[in-house]
Amino acid sequence: MKLVHLPTLFLIPLLPLLGAAWCGLVGARAQRRFGERAVHRPAVLLPWISFAFAAHAVAVLAVSGPDAVLAQRLWAWLPVGDLDADLAFQLDRLSAVMCLVVTFVGSLIHVYSIGYMHGDPGYWRFFCYLNLFLFAMLVLVLADNLLLMFVGWEGVGLCSYLLIGFWYRDREKAIAGIKAFVVNRVGDAGFALGLFLLFWGLAGTGRPVGGPPDVLESPLAGRSTAVETEEPRREAGRAASPIARPGGTAEEPHRSAEATDASPLPRTSIRFREVERILRDPARRHAFASQRWLGLSVLTLSCLLLFFGATGKSAQIPLYTWLPDAMAGPTPVSALIHAATMVTAGVYLVARLHFLFALSPTAMTVVATVGTATALFAATIGLFQYDIKKVLAYSTVSQLGFMFVAVGVGAWWVGIFHLVTHAFFKACLFLGSGSVILGCHHEQDMRRMGGLRRWMPVTAITYFLSCCAIAGFPFFSGFFSKDEILWNVFATANLRYASGGVVLWAVAAGAALCTSFYMFRSYYMTFTGDYRGATGGEVHGPEHGHGALPKESPPSITGVLVVLAALAVVGGVVGLPHLWHLPNALESWLEPVFAGSEHLVRRRDFGPAVEWGLMGLSVAIALGGFALARWLYLAARNPIPARLLESPNPVVRFVHRLIYRKYYVDEVYGRVFVDGALGASRSLASFDARVIDGLVNLCGRAGRICGDLQGWIDRRFVDGLVNRVGDAIVAGGRNLRLVQSGRIQSYVAGLVAGAIALVAITYVVPW
Amino acid sequence: MASSLAGFVPQIVLAATAVAVLVGDLLLAGRPGRRPSLAVLTALGLTAAALAVRPSAPDASLFSGLIALDGFARFFLWFFLAAALAGTVFGALSDEVHPERYGEYLILLLCLTLGMCLLAAARHLLMIYLSIELVSLPSYVLAGFRRGDRRSSEAALKYVIYGAAASGLMLYGFSLLYGLTGSLDLAGVGRAVSNASQDPASRLVLSLAALFSLAGFGYKVAAVPFHMWCPDVYEGAPTPFVAFLSVAPKAAGFAALLRFLLVGFDLGGLSQPPPFPWPVLLGLLAMATMTLGNLVAVVQDNLKRLLAYSSIAHAGYMLMAVAVGTDAGLRAVLLYLVVYFAMNLGAFLAVMAVREKTGSESIADYRGLGARSPFLAATLAIFLFSLTGIPPLAGFIGKFYLFAAVLAKGGAFFYVVAIVGVLNSAVSLYYYARVVKAMYLDHPETDAAALPLSGSYAALLALLALPTLALGVWWHPVTRAIERSSSLFP
Amino acid sequence: MYPTYPTTSSLLTWMIFLPAVGIGLILLLLALRPALRLSQKLLDDLSRAIGLASTATVAALGVHLWRGFDGREADLQYVHHAVWMEPFNIEYFVGADGLSISMILLTAFVFLAAMIASVPWWGRLDDEHHPHFSKRRVPAYVVLFLLLETGVMGTFCAQDFFLFYVFWEVMLLPMYFLIGIWGAPPRVEPDGRVRGGPYAAIKFFLYTLAGSVLMLLALIALYYASGPAVLVNGKETAHTFNLVYLTQQARDGLFQGAAPILGVAFPKMIFLGLFLGFSIKVPMFPFHTWLPDAHVDAPTPISVILAGILLKTGVYGILRFNLQMLPDVFWWAAPAIAVFGVINIVYGAFVCLAQKDLKKLIAYSSVSHMGFCLLGAAALTHQGISGAVFQMVSHGIISPMLFLIAGVIYDRAHTREIEGFGGLATRLPEYAGITGLAFMASLGLPGLAGFVGEVLVFLGGFGAADHAFRWFVAASVPAVVITAGYYLWTMQRMFLGNFNEKWSHLWDIHWRERLTLYPLAAITVVLGFWPHPVFRLVNRSIHLLVDVALGKGI
Repeated sequence: MKLVHLPTLFLIPLLPLLGAAWCGLVGARAQRRFGERAVHRPAVLLPWISFAFAAHAVAVLAVSGPDAVLAQRLWAWLPVGDLDADLAFQLDRLSAVMCLVVTFVGSLIHVYSIGYMHGDPGYWRFFCYLNLFLFAMLVLVLADNLLLMFVGWEGVGLCSYLLIGFWYRDREKAIAGIKAFVVNRVGDAGFALGLFLLFWGLAGTGRPVGGPPDVLESPLAGRSTAVETEEPRREAGRAASPIARPGGTAEEPHRSAEATDASPLPRTSIRFREVERILRDPARRHAFASQRWLGLSVLTLSCLLLFFGATGKSAQIPLYTWLPDAMAGPTPVSALIHAATMVTAGVYLVARLHFLFALSPTAMTVVATVGTATALFAATIGLFQYDIKKVLAYSTVSQLGFMFVAVGVGAWWVGIFHLVTHAFFKACLFLGSGSVILGCHHEQDMRRMGGLRRWMPVTAITYFLSCCAIAGFPFFSGFFSKDEILWNVFATANLRYASGGVVLWAVAAGAALCTSFYMFRSYYMTFTGDYRGATGGEVHGPEHGHGALPKESPPSITGVLVVLAALAVVGGVVGLPHLWHLPNALESWLEPVFAGSEHLVRRRDFGPAVEWGLMGLSVAIALGGFALARWLYLAARNPIPARLLESPNPVVRFVHRLIYRKYYVDEVYGRVFVDGALGASRSLASFDARVIDGLVNLCGRAGRICGDLQGWIDRRFVDGLVNRVGDAIVAGGRNLRLVQSGRIQSYVAGLVAGAIALVAITYVVPW
Repeated sequence: MASSLAGFVPQIVLAATAVAVLVGDLLLAGRPGRRPSLAVLTALGLTAAALAVRPSAPDASLFSGLIALDGFARFFLWFFLAAALAGTVFGALSDEVHPERYGEYLILLLCLTLGMCLLAAARHLLMIYLSIELVSLPSYVLAGFRRGDRRSSEAALKYVIYGAAASGLMLYGFSLLYGLTGSLDLAGVGRAVSNASQDPASRLVLSLAALFSLAGFGYKVAAVPFHMWCPDVYEGAPTPFVAFLSVAPKAAGFAALLRFLLVGFDLGGLSQPPPFPWPVLLGLLAMATMTLGNLVAVVQDNLKRLLAYSSIAHAGYMLMAVAVGTDAGLRAVLLYLVVYFAMNLGAFLAVMAVREKTGSESIADYRGLGARSPFLAATLAIFLFSLTGIPPLAGFIGKFYLFAAVLAKGGAFFYVVAIVGVLNSAVSLYYYARVVKAMYLDHPETDAAALPLSGSYAALLALLALPTLALGVWWHPVTRAIERSSSLFP
Repeated sequence: MYPTYPTTSSLLTWMIFLPAVGIGLILLLLALRPALRLSQKLLDDLSRAIGLASTATVAALGVHLWRGFDGREADLQYVHHAVWMEPFNIEYFVGADGLSISMILLTAFVFLAAMIASVPWWGRLDDEHHPHFSKRRVPAYVVLFLLLETGVMGTFCAQDFFLFYVFWEVMLLPMYFLIGIWGAPPRVEPDGRVRGGPYAAIKFFLYTLAGSVLMLLALIALYYASGPAVLVNGKETAHTFNLVYLTQQARDGLFQGAAPILGVAFPKMIFLGLFLGFSIKVPMFPFHTWLPDAHVDAPTPISVILAGILLKTGVYGILRFNLQMLPDVFWWAAPAIAVFGVINIVYGAFVCLAQKDLKKLIAYSSVSHMGFCLLGAAALTHQGISGAVFQMVSHGIISPMLFLIAGVIYDRAHTREIEGFGGLATRLPEYAGITGLAFMASLGLPGLAGFVGEVLVFLGGFGAADHAFRWFVAASVPAVVITAGYYLWTMQRMFLGNFNEKWSHLWDIHWRERLTLYPLAAITVVLGFWPHPVFRLVNRSIHLLVDVALGKGI
């Protein structure tokens, strides 16, 4: 692997950040003074510039050899012990693909938003968040270590929260944002634990954890740290060349092993390159894999924990529930964050850590299985949804499932391939739906649409093409990627259970059928037949001042739709099937990245005949779903759906309700986790107030009570006596009765008794 | 004899002053300016007595061993003279001492002081007894000084009864000692005791003697279970005298106790087995005393009564250091007495000032004092927090030395004592802070008019607050002086 | 023999006692007031000015200290050393190593912020019905405030145990008055208990004193167990309070030999005595209940100082004494400490979720976040202890922000009932924004200061030699989710949803509040991505600390 230092790398994420800063700090005033131009010009321009920088970087990468990696180290971020988390970026061929997709689609959607968000009072906020998201996403993609990736990882979560709740006056939307953030955090907790386990597991393969060597070298180490951390910027210039420091120190052993494969392996690391190098080393790899915790191998466990994080971000079972609610956000957000980029981060993570996952067939099996299950599960829910965005949301969940299947069976490049094509057609679909919603005055229910093809032809056509793509019509982009996935699933022998490949293939095929069906269903319900919408219903949200009937959206929207649709159609050419003996650009581009792991995943190979057969089958599936949807929903002529809804048959009703209510998963989660947490918190709070604080106050009161008691005795003994004596004086005057009266004796006797008691004490105590 | 007299000058001067005041009181009867002139006369007498002390004189015993002339005695001589001066001034300021009877007050005060000086120096059982009586009798009168005030006479009566019983017990104890050892001279007693303690038969007698004598001292320092007179006397007696009483006779009691134990009872534990388990007994007494004092003080609503119980608690702290019987312990007690002198007199002075303005001593009437009389409240707060023992105030240093002495001795028992001690000082914060809370955190419900503070009060408060603050950060001179004055004539 | 540290600079002394000088000036003003015929208003403004001037100067000196401090040097720097009291060999010995300097700087900065927050200038902050606390008894307030700064600063600088203790106690008095007098007036809770400033004040005072008196005993016992040493004036002594010597002697195993106390080994007993005092300040479960009361009923700037600084003195003490001086006992106690840390984290988070009072919520969040310090310290790894220290710093920046934010809304609405608000973002966008940032920082969003400490603590904890710690981390990571939950929920209840017209008279934050909030926010962001300024100072000392621990532990 050869490192090439690229000084402009940090600009790719930085520029959107500047945009965000502009919009966030002065955006509001600027918007008031100069109108929306002042906001969207920088906010849209900067992402394009960063796209340009990304393109340039990829060009540099392309010319500098297959195993080149562009890198830039800004400064030491957390230089503590063996932890080598730097603020450093790297661009290899994998992140290059992601980077291009993110910047390109992102910029397009910025353009789209100009039209879509026009007139919204929170215009500046919207672009601020959108830019911020781009920044976070690019950090996630370009990070050269897991911890920095985690920054982007949670950063995108934050932006998703902010954007989902963008129209915060609506309580529902705000709640949806919270749900997204919290559910993501659950996943992130898994991510973090996986990271810790990986870090210390690797450390365990190096020197014994916390071993004395650190102690011995410490003086040197400390000084060198200080030197090292004192002028990080100077380091940045030399990230490419092996950086020699005063003594490869206990503090940061990896420093001296910056680049070349020859340099000694660090004790442990969280940087992708170093981890890969360590795991390539047979001895270390074996030592790592042989560690066990909780009865599982640390290797598998860390993979699973990291994958748990991925399920949170990429909306897989069990953490998918936030994504459908996330549709509360403005449509461009759904397109950018919840379709094209953020939700694919999990797939990217698994692909990024291929060298780790490849070592654990168990983890791979889990990934593939969860992916398949999600694909079918979400697809079935998608069948009966009426909210056009909900349909797209579940289709996204399902498509993400497909990607996980791909990376789960070790076909990493295919996963990325589907990620790319999906980014195109799903973004196009979402933006199309957005255009529709805009056209229908913020109506999202497909039952109140219909016949829109007449008013918004561009939208309709682009939407149709994207449907073809996602359904997998031959020669559309989706066809290639999905077919590759299905084939790889079928052919895999890497699963932990017998003939798993075929099973998963069958399930995935079923999911594909559903996909094709509900996508075209949505198309036909929306665009064919005649308009069922309330003509000129009240317009909540931004006022666009258009009349009763739907109308085509402004060019800033349709233009973007056209571009994306075109890509959705032809995008597949980058990954033509080798069956056709055509060059497969993407596979060969990514080949160097995954080369190290390819041989670790086992495949069965079947003859081309089987492959041809499967391909035909998947075409059939796509067309079948299409035909079915057309038959049932074209122009709402066919009465069957309505009749099914009315049908008294309990089974039908039950199934429909079950699926329509999303299998009640949300309800269950709400009961178990949300209510559980709230209940626990309430009981703990009262425990705190009553018991703990009660004890404290009790101590105080006890002291007071003792005081009262003793005071009472004191007072009674003394004053009682005094009063009696006083009475005696009054009664007996100055004569001797006082002395004779037994009172004084009694009292003096008390004093003597005290003294005698002391004698007793002196005898019980040892001396 | 002559040499004895030479060493006895201060006491003589003191006695002479008493006589002079008596005469002066008669001469000046009915004249204006009687009170101030008497005060000045007394002050001069006290100063003269203080000057008459020869710091450099070698340790010796006077009057064929009745009285010791050593650093220890000298220290207390100064201490009592200072206390007496304070008593004089307080008496002159207070309206509780009727101008007509001020002379009377002074005479009693001076006799009392003389008694204390003798007590601190006495190294002979009879001398101890006599001087204790000489301390007690004027105290009874002063306790009942406010004629017609029922509480006052009650207090006096109670005081008398206690005093009688206690001194009776002590006398009995002394006689037992004499019977056992055949000596009245402390040193002789000490020698004989360490022999006598060897044979178990005489141990019972010995311990009886020890305990009965302890009753006398315990009564003077107001230690449990001989403390019961304390609250009522403090509440009933005129405040200037109470201020004096809470410091000087307590100190005298400790002086006598220390000498009695160290010289007469071999507290240092030179002989094995020790003649009597003083450390354990005194440790227990100390814990009981401080705990009772603090806990009961918590529930008091009358500040004078509260201070009475707090003074009991402080006696407990000091007993703790007496119990260890080491040199460090001795010095710690002396230092603590010095600190206690400043802060306790200060607290009582503040009480006097408030009583003069509001005519009340109940804590409830201190509400809003912080706003009404800032300087008074501030100084009182300083005294109270110093009594709590919070750095950087003098009280902390005193406590620190006490606990240091205890821990230096070590041993499980003393660790327990120390822990009880610190927890007690934590508790004490609660009731001292109650007063501060009343002054600063609460608002007066009745009148919030400003209380102008007379110059003399302000000056005295400042005078007492100064050491309370200064000793907290610079106590070296005092400890050095105590180093010199902790020598006991055998 | 060990090195004696001669005086190299009087900077720290200045930083400690400059506030005292300010006190002197104010007292002088009070004394001269009749002569100068100062009006009440003029007097108030003058004392405020004096307070601002002295805290600002201390902060400026702090910057100077920060620039001059050499992070590569493990030894004490800026030492000022003189004999204070010959008896008991007490010295005036102040100096800064990596551990203390981070706290010193934090103190200087947070006190400045708090002083700015206690000045009613530069913006409207009350109405005639609810006069602001900062207009009552101003000179007294400033005097006590400055006294508090002296105490805190001295606590962090002191290198002599006795001196440390004195400063430690000096912190209590002013805090008592500041909470009691300027805090919330007494009120009767629904369940009949009387709460409010006075109650909280005495509770804080008693609680802390109870802890520190035992510390006093430990200190004395340690003194008598200590070995011979040399005063700075060259005098040989039998015992010492000098922390450097004590630490050295402890490492030389001097205290193992000492006679056991009440049947417990001497070092363990000392450890417990000290730890109790510190853990009350942290505050560690179950000693934490003084904190919500004190925080809620204290005036805003005092809550700021409580949360930002005073809690840190506890952790500082644990690191400086329990860990640095008695590392082997620390190994023995580490699992227990970690467990308590985990309880703090999880328990605090859950209790937060149920709070209805914004300030109480923030207070409990402090309980939760200080748990990280305990867990990290107990882990005894580089990452863990660095995490603990960084958490001290970041929490010292973030929690003041949070309390200032709570103060902003309280000054305007005179209530902190979260449920009572709603949709404020419409009316107070800037306030909503800064609040969002503070919340995000506090819930440990990566890229902000809070994250650095937490992730290091978790990472370090996970790598502890004792694998049980993996369970502790695994147990406390979910708390992160709860934290996100309660902050976002609060955010939603206060700022999102429909605007509650009841609050249409509120106004957005003004300049005085910007003056305090924006610098803190800036630091939060910068330290999140570039924590180097902190690590530069502390790394070296922490390294030594860990070496000691490991050297003893393995």
